Amino acid sequence: MATRSACHVFRRRFSATAAALHPPPTEVRGHRSAVFSREQARQRALYPRVEKIEVSMQGPGLDGTLLIMNRGMSTPLSCARHFTEYHVTSSALALVDGELWPLNQPLTHSCTLSLLTFKDSDPTLANQAYWRSCAALLGQVLKTAFKDDYSVELIGTPEVPVTSGAFCCDVVLDPQLDSWTPSEESLRSLTKAAQQLIQQDLAWEPLEVAPSVALEVFSHSRCKQEEVERKASQSPKATVTLYRCGDHVLLSGGPLVARTGLCSQYEVTAVHSLGQGPWGHHRRAQGLSLPLQLPAHHTVWRKLRQRAQKLVEVLEAEKVTPSSSSSSSDSTKQ
Amino acid sequence: MRLTLQLLISHGRVARRMGLGPESRINMLRNILTGLVRHERIETTRARADEVQFYAEKLIDYAKKGDTDEKAMKMASFWLTEKDLVPKLFKVLAPRFEKHSKSYTRMVRIPNRENLDRAKMAVLEYKGNPFPPLYPAKKENQLTLINQLLQGYREERARELAANAK
Repeated sequence: MATRSACHVFRRRFSATAAALHPPPTEVRGHRSAVFSREQARQRALYPRVEKIEVSMQGPGLDGTLLIMNRGMSTPLSCARHFTEYHVTSSALALVDGELWPLNQPLTHSCTLSLLTFKDSDPTLANQAYWRSCAALLGQVLKTAFKDDYSVELIGTPEVPVTSGAFCCDVVLDPQLDSWTPSEESLRSLTKAAQQLIQQDLAWEPLEVAPSVALEVFSHSRCKQEEVERKASQSPKATVTLYRCGDHVLLSGGPLVARTGLCSQYEVTAVHSLGQGPWGHHRRAQGLSLPLQLPAHHTVWRKLRQRAQKLVEVLEAEKVTPSSSSSSSDSTKQ
Repeated sequence: MRLTLQLLISHGRVARRMGLGPESRINMLRNILTGLVRHERIETTRARADEVQFYAEKLIDYAKKGDTDEKAMKMASFWLTEKDLVPKLFKVLAPRFEKHSKSYTRMVRIPNRENLDRAKMAVLEYKGNPFPPLYPAKKENQLTLINQLLQGYREERARELAANAK
């Protein structure tokens, strides 16, 4: 018994030191998801009593509808469930009092609600959120695609307009993989992994947290912590929004769409090398996707895919901020 | 009228034989045409709609000559069995189609009749009527995701072509 406990302690100590150097990705994922669940449970416990709020709907065919929902419990999606299946499956985002609101985030006050789809007369906001979500999905795929021996660090997902032709996700791979150039087969396997996630139809669960919680979530990753600090300083409420999809927790620059099942055509088109950066060898993964409601003919898709293989240039203003923050982080380290 | 082998060797038969004889046919078509002028959109069997369409267009052609024209007045009073429609023909329909030279009507096939027999049915209407459109209006939206992607593709393509031309 004594030997076993000693062995246990030894293993734990050893694993703790090993984790500080190279924590296994499954453990990191589990930790992040656990912290996320804990914080989610805490926020839900803020509304112990069922209180009612009035939600007045706006939209074609819904004008003047008044719903009595539960405060801190009902989401815009549960409002959509009071209508038809069309509203549930096709809505991507919600507009609460003229403010973008993720579909899975609980409502906290009486408000006017309208559901956004990709076929609205002006779907710009939904398109932008869709592009962001596809980039987040690409990050999740890259994070899980490699073997546990190789560490993958997601630098961030630059915001690119839809007309640029591809969404992109910046990533730093393990130093052992610096000479690796992705072949067509490896891109195809990434696409396949993304398709599996899409088929699972996972929800993107939003959670607005204080920076301290976000720092705990990303306690294994230095560059994510810096991103959290930067985002918290930029946001007026000094909070950051975390999203969870499956067991992958990510930091987002804006609202994401409801679930992965909204994508239908999805392809990882290229992984470009951006050269040496502050975190190592930067790479930019790019992809192309279209929602279920807007399928493309294969000839059109081929043209769009060829365009998506070219490197997307991100505006200089956005490039400057990470470098300046990294230099500041260097100074703080010293 | 359908282009069939029978029509090709028609030997001068250009109209369907319907009703109890030629006179009955004309009377039936008059009644239907009167209904068309009154309601501007009617539902009838497909053969009758097809037959009436020719006379409906011809009647507008006459009406565009104006109500002072003797032949036009004669035609209007013959084809419209309810005489209160004669002013409507000259004052409403003729000005509406002033700029058009032909095809004042539209015929749309609808599902076969269910309650009486399985007759093929059709809807005949004068264009420009106040009813909701028969076909849903096609929506063109340049702002959808795929159209935005294609717009970006086209712009890049135009830039490339311009760069190559220089």
